[in-house]
Amino acid sequence: MQQPIFWLRNISKTFPGVRALSHIDFDLYPGEIHCICGENGAGKSTLIKIISGAYQPDAGGTIEFEGKACSLTPHSAMELGIQTIYQEHTVFPHLTVTENIFAGLEMARGGVINRREMRAKTEEVLAYLHCDFGPDDNVGQLPSGQKKMVEIAKALVFQRKVVILDEPTASFSVSEIDMLLDVVKKVASTGLAVVYISHHLDEVFRIADRVTVLRDGEKIITCPIGEIDEPQLIRYMVGRDASAFYSREYFEPGEVVLEARNLTGNGVKDVSFTVRRREIVGFAGMVGSGRSELMTLLMGGAHRESGELLIFGKPAHIKSPADAIRHKMCYITEDRQHTGLFLKHSIARNTIVANLVNTKEKVISPRVDIRVADDYIKKLGIKARDARMPVMNLSGGNQQKVVLAKWFHTDGEIFIFDEPTRGIDVGAKQEIYQVMMDLLRQNKAVIMVSSDMPEVISMSDRVFVMKDGRVQGEIHRADISEENILQYSIGGSKV
Amino acid sequence: MNGAGKKSLFSRRGDMFTVVVISIAFVVLVVIVQLISGIVSGNVEYPSFISPLNILNILMQVAGTGILVMGMTAIMIAGGIDLSVGMLVSMIGIFVAKSIKDWGIDVVPAIILAILIAVAVEAIMGFIISRLNVESFIITLGGMIAFKGIALLICRSQEVTLNQNLEFFKTNLIEGAKTADGLSLMLPIYVIVFFVITAIFWFVLKYTKFGRRVYAVGSNPQAAYLSGINVKRIRLLTYVFNGLCAGIAGVLILARVNVGTISLGQNLEIDVIAAAVIGGVAMSGGKGSPMGSFIGVILMGAITNAMNIMRIQSEWQYFVKGLIIIIAVAGGALSAQISARRQLKRIQEP
Repeated sequence: MQQPIFWLRNISKTFPGVRALSHIDFDLYPGEIHCICGENGAGKSTLIKIISGAYQPDAGGTIEFEGKACSLTPHSAMELGIQTIYQEHTVFPHLTVTENIFAGLEMARGGVINRREMRAKTEEVLAYLHCDFGPDDNVGQLPSGQKKMVEIAKALVFQRKVVILDEPTASFSVSEIDMLLDVVKKVASTGLAVVYISHHLDEVFRIADRVTVLRDGEKIITCPIGEIDEPQLIRYMVGRDASAFYSREYFEPGEVVLEARNLTGNGVKDVSFTVRRREIVGFAGMVGSGRSELMTLLMGGAHRESGELLIFGKPAHIKSPADAIRHKMCYITEDRQHTGLFLKHSIARNTIVANLVNTKEKVISPRVDIRVADDYIKKLGIKARDARMPVMNLSGGNQQKVVLAKWFHTDGEIFIFDEPTRGIDVGAKQEIYQVMMDLLRQNKAVIMVSSDMPEVISMSDRVFVMKDGRVQGEIHRADISEENILQYSIGGSKV
Repeated sequence: MNGAGKKSLFSRRGDMFTVVVISIAFVVLVVIVQLISGIVSGNVEYPSFISPLNILNILMQVAGTGILVMGMTAIMIAGGIDLSVGMLVSMIGIFVAKSIKDWGIDVVPAIILAILIAVAVEAIMGFIISRLNVESFIITLGGMIAFKGIALLICRSQEVTLNQNLEFFKTNLIEGAKTADGLSLMLPIYVIVFFVITAIFWFVLKYTKFGRRVYAVGSNPQAAYLSGINVKRIRLLTYVFNGLCAGIAGVLILARVNVGTISLGQNLEIDVIAAAVIGGVAMSGGKGSPMGSFIGVILMGAITNAMNIMRIQSEWQYFVKGLIIIIAVAGGALSAQISARRQLKRIQEP
């Protein structure tokens, strides 16, 4: 039996309040393609960050590389021959392929760069990988599939031993995926070990030698790909404690308030759905499946190429968020600090800002703003000294409530919550759920985008599952389950 | 009770706190220095620095700059900057002078035309900055250089001296008022124009929808857009208003100097930006107020004035002005940090 090139034993990683990984064993052999599968938040990213040296594991675990115990830093990992290729491109768009590959590691003689030799090496590797671009091409002008290949080529040029690919095919076309998978296989055939992370199970089955499944920070299984099939793999990925779920009250849904017909644009393709009063419509899917893009499109933040949007039964021409607000829509974004709040400004300023679209008064007194904000501080239980306090100085949960106040003040009817409880603690989560239920009681409609599986399952009346910008399926309350959602969101074969 | 009330008053006006403190400190310092030197020379008298005559003098010196500071305040609160105002003032001044003197245009049409030109060129720059979302620093830097070229072309690099055609703006509103020692006091119309423009900016930024939106755009354009604000239009409008200010300031500065020359607005943008920053306007946007900027520009004028009174050479004036800018900004940041920490503590101990 061959020696593993890389061996993690009993690795745990704890962040304040969260255990991201617990007691993971993971090994990797030269020449193999090892896939890691798991839902959002299963611990995949944490694991690869430990392999690449970006995170240090908790005490108690050991890491062996080529039989020798070591501790990894990003620098030492690179020296050992571990290369991580992240989801986002880390190329230099203004440089050529050769310059990108040798960036920071130029071949030089006496301080003078040896262009010819670098170019020759690059050419050799590109030819071996059958890439249809040359060493002198400008990387910025290559399509995203080929940018990824430049990074893979780098691993070959420097004869790396381990390559980690994190979601390499996100936003790729079918032909680009085929090309990339071929290249990955070829790279592995030279004896490199490949760690491959993907949400697309069909890719996993096409290239993996072995697969490891993570769930909630624990390793469920590692096995050769031949010993497992897709439904079984999904079963390993799901399965949770009942305690993770919430029980909510259900109401009789009212009339349709929003109807999307074949919406296309902003990466969203041909999406149709309806939303009724007194119901929560969930949007599930993997990160990057087009859910936030769909919400941006609904709010007029992106150009709608085709399709129709009906609000309260009438066609709505929404070209900007201002139009959307006039149509009684509210968008509680996923990133409150960057897209929801004016951190330096007072609670009062933040509260009134979205409703400026609707206000008829030309002259508004700051005193009125404060009175309005004081009202919401009481109603929503915002913990603050007074309405003049900058929201910067509030806690996360209270900041989220200020975002809610801003939208409640617009008298909206259709509330879009994008990842409403990300990064807030359990108590504040319950309060947000309570707010959603109150909205339903007041006859409003709620759209909820969430990557938190228990949240989607326990809060939604209906769930639409998205993948690659399309709605893969609609699941009704009685049928909502992790298996169903995962089947639609990552299942390759069934649609 | 009283103390607590005062404290919250200051923390509420956090933006202006620093400039108020520095201004008071500066005035007190100069008065003390004057009194002491009076005692030393055995000739104690009322400190000339805070005499009505001198205060009116300061106002006359800063009025033109002050109008520009108002436009700059709006632009900077919305997250932009305008480096071209100095050269725009020169261009407008030369244009008006040339129109009246050599091109035979009457005074009133010349002024109206000049202001329209200023608004137009600022609108063009504002349009490019807001639509293409490019750095306002670079675009207005280009504007500054181009305006200089145009100004020099118009006057063929020569000075254009007027025959007191713009005397109207210097009309003394308190004709006949005299100090105890018989010097006549001056309050020209252009100082009143400065006050009126300040009041308008203060009102618009504080009490109108547009004002709220300017602050929101500067603080977080992304969130502003998603809150239904037309970010591009707000940005564009701040430049249009600034064009109005620059046009008016150009005419008034020309009226005061009576000579159309490139040096009318030379390096003025630096003083304007400095005054706004001292007054509490943040370079990063979203913060500041016309009142703070008003105090800021008067403080800048007062520094120059005090040093002239005390016969300190001009080289030192640069040094002190620079130092005060640094103190104002660093002090502002420090007091903001302290008040944030205090607020945090207050929340933690319920």
